[in-house]
Amino acid sequence: MFIKRLPKFEYHVPISVSDALDLLAKHDRKAMVFAGGTDILVSMKKREILPEHLINLKGIVELKGIHYDEKEGIKIGALTTLGEIEHSEIVKDKFCVLWDAVNVMASPQIRSLATIGGNLCGAVPSADTAPPLIAIGASVKIVGIHGERSVLVENFFKGPKESALQRNEILTQILIPNPLPRSSGTYLKLMRRNAMDLALVGVAANIRLDLKRNVCTEARIALGAVAPTPIRAMQAEQVLVNKEIGEALAEEAGKTAATVCRPISDIRCSLEYRCSMVEVLTKRAVMDAYERIS
Amino acid sequence: MKREEIVLKVNGTDYTVSIEPWRTLVEVLRENLGLTGTKKSCSEGECGACTVIMDGRPVASCLVLAMDAQGKEILTIEGLSEGEKLHPIQEAFLKHGAIQCGFCTPGMVMAAKGLLDENPKPTVAEARKAISGNLCRCTGYQHIVDSIMAASKMMDKKS
Amino acid sequence: MEEYSVVGKSVERTDGRVKVTGKAKYAGDLVAPGMLQGKLLRSPLAHAKILNIDTSRAKALPGVMAVITGRDFPGIPYGTRPDTRDQLPMPITKVHHFGEGVAAVAAVDEDTAEEALDLIKVDYEELPVVLTAEEALKPDSPPVNEFMKSNIPYFSDFNFGDVEKGFKEADHIREEKFSSQRVTVGFIEPHACLAEVDPTGRVLLQGSKQSPYITWRHMCRALDIPLFRMRIVNPFVGGAFSGKHDPFDVDFAAVKLAQVTGRPVKIVLNYDEVLAAYRQRNAMDARLRLGVKKNGVITALRAECILEGGPICGIGPFNIYYFGAFLNIPYKIPAIEYHGKLVYSNRAPCGTVRGQEITLAQFALDSLLHMVAEDLGIDQVDIRAINAVTDNWRTANGMIVDVSGLPECIKKSSDKIKWKESRKGRPPGRGIGFSCASHPSGPRLGGHFGSSVILKLVEDGKVVLTHGGTEIGQGANTVFCQMAAEVLGLPFEDIIQGVSDSDTAILDSGMFGDRCTYWDGNATIQAATDLKRQLAEIAAKELQANPEELEFKDKRIFLKGKPEKGIDFLLAVRRAYYERGTPLYGRGYWAATDIDIVDWKTGKGNLAHGLDFIATAIDLHVDKETGKVTLVKAAHGDDAGQPINPLLLEGQVTGGSTHLAGQALFEESLYDEKGVALNYTWRDYKQPTSMDAPEYVVEHVHTHDPYGPFGAKGAGEASSCSTMAAIANGVYDAVGVRIKELPITPEKILKALKEKEAR
Repeated sequence: MFIKRLPKFEYHVPISVSDALDLLAKHDRKAMVFAGGTDILVSMKKREILPEHLINLKGIVELKGIHYDEKEGIKIGALTTLGEIEHSEIVKDKFCVLWDAVNVMASPQIRSLATIGGNLCGAVPSADTAPPLIAIGASVKIVGIHGERSVLVENFFKGPKESALQRNEILTQILIPNPLPRSSGTYLKLMRRNAMDLALVGVAANIRLDLKRNVCTEARIALGAVAPTPIRAMQAEQVLVNKEIGEALAEEAGKTAATVCRPISDIRCSLEYRCSMVEVLTKRAVMDAYERIS
Repeated sequence: MKREEIVLKVNGTDYTVSIEPWRTLVEVLRENLGLTGTKKSCSEGECGACTVIMDGRPVASCLVLAMDAQGKEILTIEGLSEGEKLHPIQEAFLKHGAIQCGFCTPGMVMAAKGLLDENPKPTVAEARKAISGNLCRCTGYQHIVDSIMAASKMMDKKS
Repeated sequence: MEEYSVVGKSVERTDGRVKVTGKAKYAGDLVAPGMLQGKLLRSPLAHAKILNIDTSRAKALPGVMAVITGRDFPGIPYGTRPDTRDQLPMPITKVHHFGEGVAAVAAVDEDTAEEALDLIKVDYEELPVVLTAEEALKPDSPPVNEFMKSNIPYFSDFNFGDVEKGFKEADHIREEKFSSQRVTVGFIEPHACLAEVDPTGRVLLQGSKQSPYITWRHMCRALDIPLFRMRIVNPFVGGAFSGKHDPFDVDFAAVKLAQVTGRPVKIVLNYDEVLAAYRQRNAMDARLRLGVKKNGVITALRAECILEGGPICGIGPFNIYYFGAFLNIPYKIPAIEYHGKLVYSNRAPCGTVRGQEITLAQFALDSLLHMVAEDLGIDQVDIRAINAVTDNWRTANGMIVDVSGLPECIKKSSDKIKWKESRKGRPPGRGIGFSCASHPSGPRLGGHFGSSVILKLVEDGKVVLTHGGTEIGQGANTVFCQMAAEVLGLPFEDIIQGVSDSDTAILDSGMFGDRCTYWDGNATIQAATDLKRQLAEIAAKELQANPEELEFKDKRIFLKGKPEKGIDFLLAVRRAYYERGTPLYGRGYWAATDIDIVDWKTGKGNLAHGLDFIATAIDLHVDKETGKVTLVKAAHGDDAGQPINPLLLEGQVTGGSTHLAGQALFEESLYDEKGVALNYTWRDYKQPTSMDAPEYVVEHVHTHDPYGPFGAKGAGEASSCSTMAAIANGVYDAVGVRIKELPITPEKILKALKEKEAR
């Protein structure tokens, strides 16, 4: 009911991924990994989760760092903090839709601790990094005792707080392909106030225009906080493809996006409002992305 | 589930404390080290009262395990002034009416330090954003923002 | 205007340095040798009989020193008034709201105390819940408070002037309903206290309390100990805003556990507990009917109000009177009829919050005034200027306005917000809303309300000042030093703020209702004058002059107009201490017995001196697609008489305005149908952040209050009172929709826009 001091646990600080996996295998259901701790520690204080073994991943150097390559794109270690992404020139310049998200997440003192890996693995429907990563075709690298696998972020979420991670797997890296010329994206987040809040609705739109005119050749629209998981609004994307971007078209995409969302009403706002806002934010995100290209 | 002896470097001094792994940094600072300048209020990272600087970045110390603070440079409000000599941010807070009840003040000052160390000439919007994770009920934020802008000018003159 | 040396200057606050260095100690920072940690077990139900509490397993846990429940207290109820004694330290027969503390544990450390809570077994029998005013008003509603028969514990009815005549004279009459939501107080420091009992049974309480006197009186009654057996020493308080007057279960439990264990006991809450179970502002439902002439002059007002206040009266009886009383101000209303009811419920207990009920009354009245002005085609600034209270005005219910700077305030705020230019045209979605308000400088709530100050003159010529009006951030500890320095002709640095200790501070009702600057300020002047008289007598002998002919300035005492014919202040001090063996101290007391103890049921009388005035203009933007409101700029024209410390005063104005912007737009304490709190976390109770506050411009209108210290008026709360209506009116100005139910959420705006378009 009320927040308490943290419960007892055994603490482990592995220095490699394989050590971490061994610990997970050994303690199985009694263990949890954590990185920034900004969600997990709060849940533990509320006694929502009670891991007997807490495995701190922050000692694993290979999970850190941002590496950009003009051919391969960007590789972001799962332990990269939201603050590090916020301060990354390369992310701001080439992957601005993701930068938009970290720019409006939590507060400076949370961004210094919270990690992109944690945001994804927490798998809350309103996770702000999800819609942008879906919109730019990102994938995640997952490591387990059976080896490595890769999953597109758009397939990474199974349900509220449920990701594609199998038991005893660790998300190690986020990979984003290099942006194609004449493409850009925007993430818009609707909150109750202007800072330090969850998304009531989050919309990421990434579009690509052809080289000569303003015809959209590719579009990806992803919605957060309006379904059990972050989702792609493919029908809305289809509205844009092969057409010239403009206000009316963006509005139509918005209307279509609103038909695919399945939000709930909660203490924050009603589902009707969320649907209406999907329409508004999608329209605005598309126009904003378009403006960024020009 | 035993106590472990760890060394925390706080305000330039090494402290050896014997703690369990489930102790948070704010608890250890306040209860083990007697540094009560860092405040505790919501314990869930929503208010900023527990803000300290860790390796140059402002962090919510209620969400940092004390064990994880080993090997890091921790700066609390007590470490900002040198004896009676106040840091320019503190001088500015005094001069521009940024302090009323004072409870949010340590967190605000540390958030301001985090900003100015990284961005010495912020705009008003950047100053507001830097303290957007620090709740204040007394001041309405105006004087705090004024103080940050003034501190930035003061620090600019000195360098 | 007089030229002062210290008063009127923005001197650095006396407690600024300790606060900015993190050295100021708040209740949660205190330690005592052998201290135990306390924790409270809270009810998961809003309304239930307590059948049994089994504490045996908790008591048996190693490290637990004591476990107590409501039954460990004498069972003597206390309350604000003799006829509303409806509170117990901790519940005995039943719980009244979600999160009410039902048991408390003292243990060697916090972890053990928490573990012990899980071992306490409480058997409840659920009772039907009363959640809203509507439910409380039903004749068969289940009784909420076991000490009162009815769920309507208090009411206020008044009728002044001839309302029927007033409505007949009106050219236009409009009636509207308004409502406001439950909100929490929202100070940042959670409740905390350290209690110690010495071997003689004397209690020392150091807690985050706003008015030690009120705490002290209630606690001694409920603990059944004589008044002299309790001593309260106040540490720094991390904000209060009227949410920390009463003693709470935190304070009672700490004392009782200290009594039982013989060791100091500290209890510090986590903020989610504060949000769940501690003081909120009453929810309000009101109906107002306003009559005006073609030219905008108000002729009559009829109002009804229901305040829903949780399971205790607290200050509720005053609140229900206050709502009606302050409908009479800041506009000239010749006739008013008012009916107010205070009702119980099973939501968190209410007290009062910054601006008190005036914030709610003003929200309703100034919104209605805006509507009426629009109906008549009268400019919003003009209608307020036309009706603004002026000097020497007596309201229909007998409140006396000595000095009103309101007309000037209106002019200043409208100029600063560029009102006239805005009427020519503005960008889509932009609007400006106006409101005025008035707030008294400390109401006289009873015969024993007063303030006292003691000045101790130290042998080295410095002065230690003690008073009972707590420093909660508003600057009390600074402005009195300024006043004392001014009277004694000493530099500000020579006056030191002493400790707030009930053993040495005499009667003082505490810090609320803007009273400190005014009441304690006057007491300070009296004390300083007393001290001056003693020093003048000594100096007069030295100078062979008449004591009445002496002036105190720049650390000297000299013949008026002849500074060379004088002695150093310090010499007079030394004569007293070293030659006469007489210590010097000044005593001052101010109780404003010339104002009335108003009967809250009938509402007649002059409640307070020093009515301060404010005119607020808020420039805002409404996003027509999302409904989001962005506050751009707020211009306040504020009449606080003679500003004692302009910088502190400005901080009061900006603070109150941001606070109430939160109630206007984002804040609401929510409950489910069983009265269980839904959003008792700052994750979902959204108070304004730095990015939500507008840019502020504060213009002081300098007047001179005849009763105020140096002509000052209290200033902490006027901007709280005017902000909500200004925002509501601004939204209307921006997009043409009128929201009368607070908070003004984006959803409400969009719904209203849709309805408007459909018409």
